[in-house]
Amino acid sequence: MSICLIYFVTFLFFSVLSFLLSLNFMILDYSLMLEYEMLSINSCSIIMTILLDWMSLLFMSFVLFISSMVIYYSEEYMEGDIYLHRFIMLVSMFVLSMMLLIISPNLISILLGWDGLGLVSYCLVIYYQNIKSYNAGMITALTNRIGDVALLMAIAWMMNFGGFNYIFYIDVYKNSMEMYIIILLIMLAAMTKSAQIPFSSWLPAAMAAPTPVSSLVHSSTLVTAGVYLLIRFNFALTSNLMLILLFIGTMTMFMAGMGANFEFDLKKIIALSTLSQLGLMISILALGEYQLAFFHLLTHALFKALLFMCAGCMIHSLSNCQDIRYMGGLIKVMPLTCTYFMISNLALCGLPFLSGFYSKDLILEVLSMSYLNIYIYVIFFFSTGLTVCYTFRLIYYVLVGNFCFYSLSKINDNSKIMLQGMSGLIFLVIVGGSMLMWLMFPTPYFICLPFTMKIMALIVSFFGAWFGFELSKFTLNDSLKSFYLLNSSLFFSSMWNMPYISTFGLNYYPIKLGSKLYKTIDQGWSEYYGSQNLYSKISNTSVFLQFMFNNNYKIFMLLIMMWVIFMILYI
Amino acid sequence: MANLPTGLISHTRRVQSLYKKALRCLESWYDRREVYRYHAILMRKRFDENKDIRDLRIAKDLIAQGEEEVFQSNHWHPRKFPESPGGVAYERVVTPPDWMVDHWHPLEKAQYPTYFAKREELKKQFIEEWTKKYGKPSPIAH
Repeated sequence: MSICLIYFVTFLFFSVLSFLLSLNFMILDYSLMLEYEMLSINSCSIIMTILLDWMSLLFMSFVLFISSMVIYYSEEYMEGDIYLHRFIMLVSMFVLSMMLLIISPNLISILLGWDGLGLVSYCLVIYYQNIKSYNAGMITALTNRIGDVALLMAIAWMMNFGGFNYIFYIDVYKNSMEMYIIILLIMLAAMTKSAQIPFSSWLPAAMAAPTPVSSLVHSSTLVTAGVYLLIRFNFALTSNLMLILLFIGTMTMFMAGMGANFEFDLKKIIALSTLSQLGLMISILALGEYQLAFFHLLTHALFKALLFMCAGCMIHSLSNCQDIRYMGGLIKVMPLTCTYFMISNLALCGLPFLSGFYSKDLILEVLSMSYLNIYIYVIFFFSTGLTVCYTFRLIYYVLVGNFCFYSLSKINDNSKIMLQGMSGLIFLVIVGGSMLMWLMFPTPYFICLPFTMKIMALIVSFFGAWFGFELSKFTLNDSLKSFYLLNSSLFFSSMWNMPYISTFGLNYYPIKLGSKLYKTIDQGWSEYYGSQNLYSKISNTSVFLQFMFNNNYKIFMLLIMMWVIFMILYI
Repeated sequence: MANLPTGLISHTRRVQSLYKKALRCLESWYDRREVYRYHAILMRKRFDENKDIRDLRIAKDLIAQGEEEVFQSNHWHPRKFPESPGGVAYERVVTPPDWMVDHWHPLEKAQYPTYFAKREELKKQFIEEWTKKYGKPSPIAH
């Protein structure tokens, strides 16, 4: 029995178990808090606390389910890899860290899970050992490090309350200064993990990892850890912080949507789409609807994991080629993969009755109902249009059109294990949204909107689809808009120059300072007082001594003569 | 050091590499094959128009202009073959070389006694065969 199969069965079993438990807890409206005393010395006890409620159990069951499918899928995707065992171990360590994060009502055990996620994600990004992966891993680890530090500072600040179980203090102290600082730090941590705007550049870079990892870690689970943390802390968010969060979330959503329209790497397009959906989750959370954010988090995890798995299947058949300009017409050669790809893409767009529709449409309608300015409204709907736009661009490039790969290729739909792994998810991608809707919202949301506002989502989606198709196809005599507007294309394709901010932008001044210090201290004063000057003094002295030594015989003879003269004169 | 020119590059070679760069650039911009072919032919025409220029001053000037044009119109995401330098899968899988095993710690080696005994034997055999075929290696001078 292969290692993949063992982990698949284990994770699937626990997934079903926690799903059934979550249903039970949901019906009974029941939360369970377990306290386990690990150590007690001199009346100082260390207690591990575990919180089990429907939210944590449901999230856990989804994470376990997706990871079981991804591990099953990896058996064929990573076939022949000499480090397969290490890979599977890393993935299962990732799942364990995620579990620790989900069930902790305690900031210290959250930090353990959080740091575990960061570390394992770094190890998975550098799994392939080329320079690109190393660079991507470095930017991933360092960006996440900022969040870890923020979380550590929040833990230190929790000392004001005398304990680390935030869940006891969040309601009581929510208007205090201490809680304000804690939530600020938590917000910073969540922004790094969920790749919100100043910290966005690591997510597309992390696509250097193998595709099953992208499917599990960088689309459905790890990046939603930040959103999950904010959902847990959402009662402590003040209105000002919520507005800041709303602004950041909407900007991320817009930036990622624009970026995806200019990207040509299949995995990076999907990563940017993940970023856009994360922005959506953060923004709806900032509007106070944490349940909707959680709902979208779960449905998004499903269809995005499947989308990545399909992309992985295509990349695998196209012998590691990820550029969508090499693809085209794949529907003829890999029909089942393309069907799955299409379904998850349409779920992402929010096609009625697929899983994305229930969460996304509800979010848009709740947003339309709320009392907000025109900027938020426009940017939300524009970003929804952009999602449909890049999805249709992707469909145009990958599924239809001419076949653009080498004529001698082995593209086919014979990857049985990978297809089985994907088939496990497809059912939930189709019915997951409606199922969760019935489970999570027993009382329906009351939506009352004028007709034009109600169909606005449909209109932007329609225009998005049309633009996506029109912009990507061109004929012989069309002039290239992206070439004639090269500067703006460069701006949008580089995520608003964000990778430069987090690389050269950060490095510039420290490196400049370093060069100045090197010139003035290392090569300047310390040379003057230390090595060079000392060297020249010693060498001058030794030259003098050498000169003296060369005259040694002369001096000796002279001394003898002087002695003889002395003797003659005085004897 | 790597960027230093290691030899004289003839004019013909500069033209040829410019032409190749221009075609690669066009390939990145125009992703449908027939459209690319159309633009590649137009590019060929631009090169052919100047092929009979005998005055090297003008020809050099043209090349400088062409290189500048290629640089300015570079694609932000140029097409790269996955296994070529700059591609996504370039040097992705590193297979450790066989001699790595010789550097194992003796304790590690002791865990696989039969393998290492056979390995030493095979090494001796290989050296013997090599000396039989090529003769003894000359002693190193330095």
